[in-house]
Amino acid sequence: MRRILHDLKSNPLAIAGFAVLFLWIFLALAGPSLMNFTYTEMDTQNQIAPPGTGGHLLGTDALGRDLLARIVTGSRSILTVALFTSFFSTAAGIIIGFSAGYFGGLVDKIFLRILDVLMSIPALVLAMVILGVLGDSTIMSLTLMISIAYIPATARVARGTLLTHKGREYVDAARIMGENNFSIMFRQILPNTLGPIIVEATARFAYSIMMVASLGFLGVGLQPPTPDWGMMVIENKQIISVAPWSVLYPALAIASLVIAISLISDFFSKVLIHES
Amino acid sequence: MFFIRRFIVRLGSMVATLAVMSFLIFFLVELMPGDVAQMVLGQNSTPEGLASLRESMGLNDPFLVRYWRWFSGLLQGDLGESLYMRGVAINSILWRKVGHSLVLAITALLFYVPLSIFFGVVAGVRAGKLSDQIISFFGLATMALPEFVSGVLFITLFSVKLKILPITSVIPIGESLWGNLNILILPALSITIVMFGYVSRMQRSSMIQVMDSDYVRAATLKGLPRRYVIFRHALKNALLPTITIIGMNMGWLFGGLIVVETLFGFPGLGSLTMSAIKTRDVPLIEACVLFITFIFVVSTLITDTLYGVLNPRVRLAKGVD
Repeated sequence: MRRILHDLKSNPLAIAGFAVLFLWIFLALAGPSLMNFTYTEMDTQNQIAPPGTGGHLLGTDALGRDLLARIVTGSRSILTVALFTSFFSTAAGIIIGFSAGYFGGLVDKIFLRILDVLMSIPALVLAMVILGVLGDSTIMSLTLMISIAYIPATARVARGTLLTHKGREYVDAARIMGENNFSIMFRQILPNTLGPIIVEATARFAYSIMMVASLGFLGVGLQPPTPDWGMMVIENKQIISVAPWSVLYPALAIASLVIAISLISDFFSKVLIHES
Repeated sequence: MFFIRRFIVRLGSMVATLAVMSFLIFFLVELMPGDVAQMVLGQNSTPEGLASLRESMGLNDPFLVRYWRWFSGLLQGDLGESLYMRGVAINSILWRKVGHSLVLAITALLFYVPLSIFFGVVAGVRAGKLSDQIISFFGLATMALPEFVSGVLFITLFSVKLKILPITSVIPIGESLWGNLNILILPALSITIVMFGYVSRMQRSSMIQVMDSDYVRAATLKGLPRRYVIFRHALKNALLPTITIIGMNMGWLFGGLIVVETLFGFPGLGSLTMSAIKTRDVPLIEACVLFITFIFVVSTLITDTLYGVLNPRVRLAKGVD
């Protein structure tokens, strides 16, 4: 931990990444109560108002809704879904990938074949079809679907990490001591592979943000009136020639969050994988 | 001989993957809420009308029977009829859109493959220097960026501010794509931004590895010009992993096409899939998703084969699969 903090000091990009991420978390928690407007309030005097007019810092959309309030409120759902998604998909990936890699043989062969099939369909398309099947998306269904769509990828990484540890002496020692398989996998190997797994989970976090935004953009994400960054982009695209800000700001919000998390994930991969 | 055997094994596993996938897709779409007959007849349907339509469409048959009917149709090249556009054969809609998407995908490939390889090589050769840091930061930043975010930035710059390219990529009625090639530029650029990250990072790391190898050092020590060493000796080997990444990401490219085509209103496979899901056009969803899977599986097969052809270590390692 101390070493990580030490490395962080010499990595300004990672510091910027953490700063932006914490800013968004702060805004998600406290932001909506600091705003002059609520996210559904329609200011009929100021429709399509440019940034700065009528107290609207970032301007308004076609209905006169305050963009800043909508973006800040929208950060809540996207952060929640992405956080849980990265957690669930990584956890499930560890359980599945570890079991396949640990037991090897036929179990592993079957596992790899299933992966081949599941990975032959883009995660976005898979999530889209399932969400389309389920009907109106909620935070729950969105989290569940994106997690499922990402499990093949996380399981593959977890399996690969386990395989590099399987033949090590400490694993043999634990086996000779009579520990059961479960305990060897999760008490012995898991703590030793935390580095790559944290890196994978952070990367998954960035991809989850991207996925939530893309699904919202495609109209199969959260339903209105919940403000969703991706949805705001496609809604306001109709007025892009008169009000480019209404599209630009939600897009920049997505970009800032995604880039911040990518920088953090890159930092972790440098500190936790390459230097150990 | 070994090569052909390897190819046939791969081909077999590809066909198996597609068959399993077709079953999964059919099963998933089957779970969609809503009654197909109701959707076809709309508001003013009578119970008798619904019942007879269900009977004539074979909706009362067991699941496996319906799957088999659909699947055997597929094998004969018959994708069925659209529900939303009643009576229109999917074959007559799908292929034109697929053609459009392929043109867009190829345009994007022509943009991002040379760009990312070039910048990846530059970053790899100058690892650690400022130019590498800038390229690497850019690649990292764009890797998980949704395609529509970069698309929106491009639209704001090129269409709203500079007014040199169209905001939407719609083909006017009565005209063909070939007369409107400028609508391809912004969608292709948006895809380029996202793919650049993957490909350039891969190219960079394989370049670093190759530049560190004995044979490259030998070429440098022989006194060959650096440019010659990089492009004639090193790049040849450093391209292999990049080619794999490009091939493996074809599926991703087609997933990204859905987003880009929706943003620009481009009439391709992606927007067709999207509208099929919105209108719950069951047979059309099945056809579109299966085709996207097909593209992915075929490009994986081609990548594998190409990798074998290009890499003498695979080509000569007889008996090893």
